[in-house]
Amino acid sequence: MISTVVTKELKAIILTPKFTATFAVCSLLMLLSVYVGINEYRASTKQYETATQLARQEMREQSSWMGLMNRTYRVPDPMQIFVSGVNYDVGRWSAVNQFSTVKLRHSAYSDDPIFAVFRFVDFSFIVTVVLSLFALLFTYDAINGERESGTLQLTFSNAVPRAQYILGKLIGSWLGLVIPLALPVTLAILMMFIYRIPLTPEHWSRFGLILGAGLLYFTVFIAIGLFISAVTRHSSTSFLVALVIWVLAVLIIPRAGVIGAGQLVPVPSVAEIEGQHDAYAKQRWQHLNDENGKRWQERNAQMSNFTKEEREKYRDDHLWAWMEEDDSARKAMQKETDRHAVKLNEDLRNRQATQQELAFILSRFSPASSFQLTAMNLAGTNIDLKSRYEDAISVYRETFNKFTEKKQKESGGMGGIRVTFDSDAGFKFDVPRERGSLNLGDMPQFTAPARSLREVLPPTMIDVGLMSLYAMAAFVAAFLGFLRYDVR
Amino acid sequence: MIRLIIEKELREIIGSTRFAITFAICSILILLSFYVGARNYQVSLARHEAAKRENIRRMEGLTDWFSVQEVRVFLPPQPLAALVTGVSNDIGRTTEVRGRGELSAEDSRFNDDPIFAVFRFLDLDFIFQIVLSLFAILFAYDTISGEKERGTLRLSFANAVPKDKYILGKLVGSFLALAVPLVLPMLIGCLLLPLLGVPMNSDEWLRLSLIIGCGLLYFGAFLSIAIFVSTRTQRTSSSFVMLLVVWIFAVLIIPRTSVLFAGRAVDVPSVDEIASQKNRLSAQLWEEDRKKMGTFKPAASNNQPEKIMQEFNSFMQSIADEREKKMEEFGGRLNEERANRQRVQERLAFGLARVSPSATFSLAATSLAGTSLSLKDHFREAANAYQKQYARFMKEKTGMVTGGRMMMFRNETDNGHKPKPIDPGEMPSFAYDPPSVGNVFGAALPDIGLLALFNIIFFIAAYVGFLRYDVR
Repeated sequence: MISTVVTKELKAIILTPKFTATFAVCSLLMLLSVYVGINEYRASTKQYETATQLARQEMREQSSWMGLMNRTYRVPDPMQIFVSGVNYDVGRWSAVNQFSTVKLRHSAYSDDPIFAVFRFVDFSFIVTVVLSLFALLFTYDAINGERESGTLQLTFSNAVPRAQYILGKLIGSWLGLVIPLALPVTLAILMMFIYRIPLTPEHWSRFGLILGAGLLYFTVFIAIGLFISAVTRHSSTSFLVALVIWVLAVLIIPRAGVIGAGQLVPVPSVAEIEGQHDAYAKQRWQHLNDENGKRWQERNAQMSNFTKEEREKYRDDHLWAWMEEDDSARKAMQKETDRHAVKLNEDLRNRQATQQELAFILSRFSPASSFQLTAMNLAGTNIDLKSRYEDAISVYRETFNKFTEKKQKESGGMGGIRVTFDSDAGFKFDVPRERGSLNLGDMPQFTAPARSLREVLPPTMIDVGLMSLYAMAAFVAAFLGFLRYDVR
Repeated sequence: MIRLIIEKELREIIGSTRFAITFAICSILILLSFYVGARNYQVSLARHEAAKRENIRRMEGLTDWFSVQEVRVFLPPQPLAALVTGVSNDIGRTTEVRGRGELSAEDSRFNDDPIFAVFRFLDLDFIFQIVLSLFAILFAYDTISGEKERGTLRLSFANAVPKDKYILGKLVGSFLALAVPLVLPMLIGCLLLPLLGVPMNSDEWLRLSLIIGCGLLYFGAFLSIAIFVSTRTQRTSSSFVMLLVVWIFAVLIIPRTSVLFAGRAVDVPSVDEIASQKNRLSAQLWEEDRKKMGTFKPAASNNQPEKIMQEFNSFMQSIADEREKKMEEFGGRLNEERANRQRVQERLAFGLARVSPSATFSLAATSLAGTSLSLKDHFREAANAYQKQYARFMKEKTGMVTGGRMMMFRNETDNGHKPKPIDPGEMPSFAYDPPSVGNVFGAALPDIGLLALFNIIFFIAAYVGFLRYDVR
C-alpha cells in the first residue's frame, strides 16, 4: 500500500511543469554558486601567494633584525567555496613583529566594499534560501490540494490507512525532491575535479557532512510544508502560512536572534579596548623613559670626575653595553604591555563569547540558523575563524620574535637610528652597524591553524540534533493533524 | 467606471484575511526594523563615545606633545546608517592619524564582531527589499488570471467595460490598497525614532522620506511586474511559480552575480600589491634619508641644546617633507590607477545589477542614507582634512611632524622640577559631516528615475498584455 502512495506522490511531483521549472532553477543556482565559489577561491589563493611573496621580499630588503616587520596572511581554504561564512568579513592578515600585538586586519570586504554591497552567493546560501522555498513550494498543498481537487475523498473511499497515507506522502515527496538534487550536486563535485581544487579526504568528509546537514534541513521544510497542508483547508491559505513561516525562519529569526543578543549583552568595541591598551602602553613608555633618564644620570654621575678625554673614551667603551641595557629594559616593558593586551583581549573575548552563546540560542529557533551554523562550523568559516587565526599567529609571533632576537644578537646591532643631544658631548648620531639584505633562509614559517574533524563534530551535533528534532516535530504534528483531517 | 473598478479592487484586497495576516506581519517587520535601527544606533553611539574617551584618556599624564605620536579618529554612527546599513559595517571606521602619510581605515564592525556578520543586520533596506516585493507579488499574482479562474473576468467584460480602464483601475486599486496601509507602520516607525532618542535633523528627515518614497516606487515596480505576469498566464498557480522565480532572481541572484561577474571581468590591482610597492619605496626612501641624517651637523655657532634641538627638528622636518612628497607622488599614482579600475568595475557591476529593481532600490536607498560605496572615500577625505589640521597643530606644539617612526626620549637632566602635563583638550577634534542632501539626491537620482521607469515599463507591458488577453 505504502509503495503505491509513494509512487503516486513521486509521479505527481516529478511529472509537473512546475517541477521542471523550479528544479532547473535550483540546479542552475547550485552550480552557479559552486562555480562562483571556485573562482573566488582561486582568486584568493592567487592573492594569498602574491601577498606572502611580497611580504618576504619586503623583509629581505629590510636592514635590521630588530625592526623586522613580517605579515602573516590567512590561508584560503577550499571549504570556503561551499560556505563562505565570515571569511570575507574577517581581516586577511596580521602584522607580526616585536612592537605590535597580533590583530587580523583588512577584511576582503573592507578592502573591496563593492563585494559587500550585495554579498556573495554560495552553496549554503542557496540551500538555506532557495531549497527551503523549493521544499515548501511542493508540499504546501500535499493534503489540502488533494482535497480541493477531490482526489483525497476518492482515495479514502478505498481501504487506505491514514497513517500509511501520510507516511507515503512524506517519503514520496522527500524522494521526489531529493533524488533530482543529486544531479546538480554530482555536477558540482565534478567541477571540483575539473578545476583541480586541492581537496583532501578530510575536506571531502566535511563536504559530505555539509551535504547531510543540508538534506536534513531540506527534510525539515518538507515536513513543515506537509504539516501546514494537513491543518489547513485551502491551498491558498496554506501557501500564505508557508510563506510567512519561510520569511520568519529564513530571513528574520536568525538576524533578530543575533541583534537581540547584541542589545542584551553589550560588548565594548575593539577601538575602545585598543584605546585602553594604548593608554597603558603609553604610560609604560613614559615610565621606561623616566627610568632611562635615571640610568643616564647615574652613568653621567660616574663620569663626573673624569676629564673630557677620559669621559669620551669611557663612553665609547660602554656605549653598546648601555644601549643593550636600555634595550633589555624596553623588551621587559614590551613583554609587560603584551601581557596586558592579552588580558584585555581575553576579557573582550569572554564578553563576546557570552554574547555569541545567547545569540545562537535565540537564533537556533529557526532551522535555517541551525543549518547555517553547522555548515560554517564544518567548513571552518564560523565566527571562531578570527580567534583561531589570531591565537595561531600569536604563537607564531613568539617564535618569530625569538628568532629575530637571536639574529639580532648574532649580528650585534639594534637597528634604528639613535640621535642624542648631550650637554657636554653635544650632538651625536648613531646608525646601526649592520647593512645589506637579510638572510631569511631559516626563518620560522607560519602554519595555518587546523581543526580536526573530531573537534568540529561536537558543536555540529547540537545543530544536527536540533534539525532532526524540528523535522520530527513537524512530521508528528502533520501526522496528528492528518488523523483528524476532514477528507471531504 | 474606473472609480468603480478601483473601489472594487480596494474592497476585495482589504476585506480579505490574507491581507489582514500579511499586512500585520509586514507592519511588525517594518516596525521591528525601525526599532532595531534605533537601538543599534544607540549601542554604536555608546561604543563610539567610549572609544573617543579612551583616545583622549591615553594622552593624559603625558608631559610632552612628542609622545603623542598619533591620534585616532572614528567614523561616528549616523542615524540613517542604522536604518539603511549599506557598507557601513564593512568598511573600517577607525583611522590612525600621524600627521603625514597615507591614511587607512581599519576595524570594520563585522571584523570586530564577526557574530553580526554571520546573519547580518535586519535593516530597513533589507525589509523593504525582501518583504515589500513579496507582499506585492502575493497580492497581485492573480489579479487577472485569478479573476479568469473564478469566472468573474468574463462576467465583468459581459458589460461594456473598456479593457484599458479595467487594467488601469486594477493597478491603481491594488497600489492604493497595499501601499497606503504600508505607509502607516512606516510613519509609526518614524515617530519611534525621536522617542527612542535618535536625533534626526531636518536634512535626515528629508532623506528618510526620500528613502521611503523609493521604497514605494520599488513596491509599485513589483506590483506592476506581478500584474504583468498575471496577464501573461492563464492559471494562478503558474503565475505564482513564475513570479517566485522572478523574485528569487531579482532579489537574490542578479545583484550578487553581477557584482561577482564584474569582479572577474575587470581586473583591479590588489591592495596587497599596492601596499607592498609603497612599503618598498618607503623603506628605500627611509634608507636614503638615514644616510642624510648621519650627515647632520648643527651649525658651529649653535651650542645651546634647545637651539640644537630646534635646528635638528627643522632638518628632520625638511627631509620628511621631501620624503612624503615622493611617497605621495608615487602612492597617489598607484591609488589613482586602482581607483580608476575600481570605478570601471563598479560601473559594470552596478550597471548589470540595475537590471533588477531590488538592486536599483538598494543602491538608491544606500546613496540617500549615505552608506553607499562612497562612504569609504568620504570618510577618508574627512580624515585627510583632519590630518592636515592635526599636522598644523603638532608643528605648532613640537616644531615637527614626524609621521610616526620616531621614538622620542627626552632625558632632561638639568634640574629636578617636574614637567607640566599636556592638555589633551587642546587637540583639534575630528568632525564628520555626512554628505549634503543635494549631493546624495544627485547620486540617487538615476536610480530613482530607473525605479520609476520600471513602473512605467511593466505597466505598459501589463497593459499591452491585457489588451490581448483572452478573457474567456
